[in-house]
Amino acid sequence: MTQPGRLSDAPIDVRDPDIDETLDVDRPWIVLVWNDPINLMSYVTFVLQKVFGYSHEKAEAMMLEVHNNGRSVVSSGTREKAEFDVFRLHEHGLWATMQQD
Amino acid sequence: MAFGFRRPFHPRSGNRFIVNLGDRERAVVRAVCEDLLGLLEDPDAQPLLRRVYPVAHADDAEVDAAYQEMVHEELVGSRRSVLEQIVATAEATELDREQLDAWMIGLNTVRLVLGTRLEVSEQGQPELEADDPDVVAWAVYEFLGGIVETIVRSLATSD
Repeated sequence: MTQPGRLSDAPIDVRDPDIDETLDVDRPWIVLVWNDPINLMSYVTFVLQKVFGYSHEKAEAMMLEVHNNGRSVVSSGTREKAEFDVFRLHEHGLWATMQQD
Repeated sequence: MAFGFRRPFHPRSGNRFIVNLGDRERAVVRAVCEDLLGLLEDPDAQPLLRRVYPVAHADDAEVDAAYQEMVHEELVGSRRSVLEQIVATAEATELDREQLDAWMIGLNTVRLVLGTRLEVSEQGQPELEADDPDVVAWAVYEFLGGIVETIVRSLATSD
């Protein structure tokens, strides 16, 4: 019988801390949405909720950052995740780019 | 719709939405989608479509070219799919959530292309002479903005 949370059941971290040449590859990517004069504010908010599952409050705060500051970081993660997020945002017509943080 | 007595997209039970649009409004919706389906096939239209296929890697043209090559066909297919769904349902009196979502995305894409052609800026609509050919394009652009806005409101308030 195992007890929940018993230390010996914790997954073992198998990453080798000596292998550091992958550091650059592992640096997270960020996805930015840029301000544009065409997309409606309500539409941008709704798309961020739909694509990322964000709450209305969080999505609206990001949209306002885009509107007021010209851009906002809307997600981050691996390169593959960022590419997928950018694709989904482009499908919805948002002006999204990705870059390594 | 004209007098605001009816919501153009009225949520009802079962994730369905009643579409209260007149024949002329539906004709515009269908026509703009058919126009854009044609433009997607037109090699000369590419400058107009720059917002349809945006840059993903702004700081590296070479990396971006590789990304575009990887996703372009899929993005074109996605565009075509939503526009064809709208054309197929332009006369429908009821849409499900997925279909209404396609309307939202497709008609917003039309706005992006029209807005690119009209060089829309934060300043909004410029002063136009009554006989300016852009008067009609601006009217359609504003009409589609209203449609997208009301679809967003319907989808967002009926989760």
